[in-house]
Amino acid sequence: MPKLREFLPLQFRILYQQFLSGVIDLEALSVHADVPRFLGQFASILVLISLSRALGLLFAADNLAPNAYLSFAWRGQQDLISGTMLLVGLVTIASWDSTFPDMRDVRVLSPLPIAPRMILAAKIAASASILGLAVVTLNFATGIAWPIFIGSHHESSLGFLRALGAYWLTILAASLFLYCSVLAIQGLTSLLLPRGLFLVSSAFFQVAAFFLFLAVYFLQPTITSVEMASTTSSWLNWSPALWFFALFNQLNGSLPSELYWMAQRAWFGVGISIGGAIAALALCYVRTMRKMLEQPDLVSGGHSFDWTPRLGSPLQSAVVLFSFRSILRSRQHRLAVAAYAALVFLIVLPWLHIELSSPTPLPLTPDFLTSTFLIVSLTVLGLRGIFSLPISLTANWVLRTTQLRPTEKYVAATRLTLLLLGVAPAWLIAAMLSTRLRPWHEVAKHLLVLALVGWLLAEVALINFYKVPFTCSYLPGKVHIQVMFWCAMVLLAAFAITSAEVELPALHSNVRSSLVIVTLAACGLALAALNHHRAKSAQLYFEEFPPEVITSLGIGPLPQHTRSATFLR
Amino acid sequence: MLELRDVFKYYSGIPAVNSVSFSARPGEVTGYLGPNGSGKTTTMKMITGLIEMSSGEVRFEGKPIQDDLISYKRRMGYVPEEPYLYHHLSGLEYLTMVAQLRNLPEREASERIDGLLRLLMLYEDRHASISGYSKGMRQKILIAAAIMHNPELVLLDEPFSGLDVASALVLRSLIRELAARGKVVLFSSHELDTVERVCSHVVILHRGKVVADDSIEHLRSLMAAPTLEDIFSQLAVEQDIGAISRQIADLIHA
Repeated sequence: MPKLREFLPLQFRILYQQFLSGVIDLEALSVHADVPRFLGQFASILVLISLSRALGLLFAADNLAPNAYLSFAWRGQQDLISGTMLLVGLVTIASWDSTFPDMRDVRVLSPLPIAPRMILAAKIAASASILGLAVVTLNFATGIAWPIFIGSHHESSLGFLRALGAYWLTILAASLFLYCSVLAIQGLTSLLLPRGLFLVSSAFFQVAAFFLFLAVYFLQPTITSVEMASTTSSWLNWSPALWFFALFNQLNGSLPSELYWMAQRAWFGVGISIGGAIAALALCYVRTMRKMLEQPDLVSGGHSFDWTPRLGSPLQSAVVLFSFRSILRSRQHRLAVAAYAALVFLIVLPWLHIELSSPTPLPLTPDFLTSTFLIVSLTVLGLRGIFSLPISLTANWVLRTTQLRPTEKYVAATRLTLLLLGVAPAWLIAAMLSTRLRPWHEVAKHLLVLALVGWLLAEVALINFYKVPFTCSYLPGKVHIQVMFWCAMVLLAAFAITSAEVELPALHSNVRSSLVIVTLAACGLALAALNHHRAKSAQLYFEEFPPEVITSLGIGPLPQHTRSATFLR
Repeated sequence: MLELRDVFKYYSGIPAVNSVSFSARPGEVTGYLGPNGSGKTTTMKMITGLIEMSSGEVRFEGKPIQDDLISYKRRMGYVPEEPYLYHHLSGLEYLTMVAQLRNLPEREASERIDGLLRLLMLYEDRHASISGYSKGMRQKILIAAAIMHNPELVLLDEPFSGLDVASALVLRSLIRELAARGKVVLFSSHELDTVERVCSHVVILHRGKVVADDSIEHLRSLMAAPTLEDIFSQLAVEQDIGAISRQIADLIHA
């Protein structure tokens, strides 16, 4: 029996494979990178989340009071739907612009006899594959456990099957809605704006969308009864996750008549977003490809704005500004920073709420201290992790031919970058959250401790880091990211909790707080001296592994007369 | 003076550069020629210190460059074969970064960058991202970055790649001017016509070995060849060019 793929046109299959691999920026990877394994590690994180949610659900359902079913079911449905929508949003942001033609497509594919609709179909199929994989892995356990739970409360014997269909249809509709909405907005801006302006605004929309999705996910209320729904009507009007919650119940046959209009809204939303995306994409592939040839990608960085401040020595200025611009202008790096910023945002949000709602000054609490330690440590270590993502390996020759200073000077420049781009913003956030805390002298002491802890963490992050940020090859797939992620989370939480427990009693006593400050400063100085000393005998490096300059054909020893056929790169 | 003495570079036991020795003197432009894969770029990278030699020695002003690589890099400017740049920076930001890495005084660097951008017709696009630059514009940025610190040794690997006619003429004249001001200029190119006009001395490489190292004038009389192209064809081209072109035409016609 012929396979499905054999029915697809050859052009489509080849383009699909190309675009699928294009989701990963190959330029940023080392030749040793194991991309499938890297993707597998992310998938395993999603599977783990799905399993833990399913187990949590089964455990909670087991201990459920008879009258609490409705509230529990509604809460769970909203949680599962909004979690999936958040994931779809994040994947859409990660593959931002990948469905639209880029300059490479225009230059390489335009001269070939390939219809734009073929390129469009292959691009949509590639991004839909990634999206589908993410959605299925996140729901693979909950997508069975939840229908079993809902089905067991159904009056009909086919309750499980109905709940199963309702669940997956709702997940599909919610995913399509979000994905198509983003495509439609991107397509419209691409059509309406000149090419240069579109490139600038697209980057802005990407970050704005990231924070919008996060804000909606964390701020939207959970509806647990029809009465509650009537008091939060503004959220019901504007929150798509709640519309799809209503859609699930409509398909499952459990929607109260008062909320039918929300399910209607979900259907309309899906229809409009799919229609909008199709129209925008079709027009884009006709007009944008021509526009890209006619309007070059020259994006002005601000015609009269030449911002090159002096930050220490010329080398330090060069490294700090290079890092700052890399974070600001590279899609990958911006996203990585946004992911850490989201975690910080999660910690800050409740404190901001307390700050704004409290009419009187508040005391320093262990929770607050823990939160600020978490903010600083997440920022510093997150930034250190992002430093390992290269921006353009082929352009590193310039740093190597202009390496006129010893390695310790480069370490000093990286330290300044960590302090200015990591410790300083995190410390400022903590300081702003502290404005309503009292007594003042204890708050001031805590902020000093926090600055020293930030510096100490920066020194820890610099151990064995003999490279310029964003210039060394990265080896995804070689590091067990799924293990590292959870280990880092546990260690950071333990560090923050312990630090807060040690610090709080010390803040009440001048002697003890002075001792803490002096100890931290001494540790910072010692680590800085150690890093400086070790860097003196170290070499700056740009590859995790030395690059191979010869590509072996892997066919065993060659006879003498054929050796010249080996390719030298 | 730049001297290479018996330089070897092996990759997995295969010599990419095989006992290369030659000198490039101040005040003259030395052309470094050879077919694809002959080892030109590998030699250039060894001279810049980007890759290490397997054996041999590169000397500048009589001293091995490895003795004080940092001081050597200060005096050297390099235009690589491919215009690899940090595309997320603007032309101005890239040149400023290179000036900072080279530790040029701020005011001096600013004046030179400004002047170079104007003279190379890049001033209007100085704030634009390099990702939007044409190949010729990127090549100009590389040239500006290589000479802004007034180097004593200028290494140019295919510097005319992507340049328009006017810019190529300017660069050709600039190369002569730099040599006239006492700099050592080593210039690698496939454009034999340009090499013939610019260089006084050529080194021809074939299969990693030096097959000619002399003045163009002397090579012409020695080999009874009227042009550099004829000299090059005799020394470094093994294929029957007419037969290959006929075969290609036949192949696509079939």
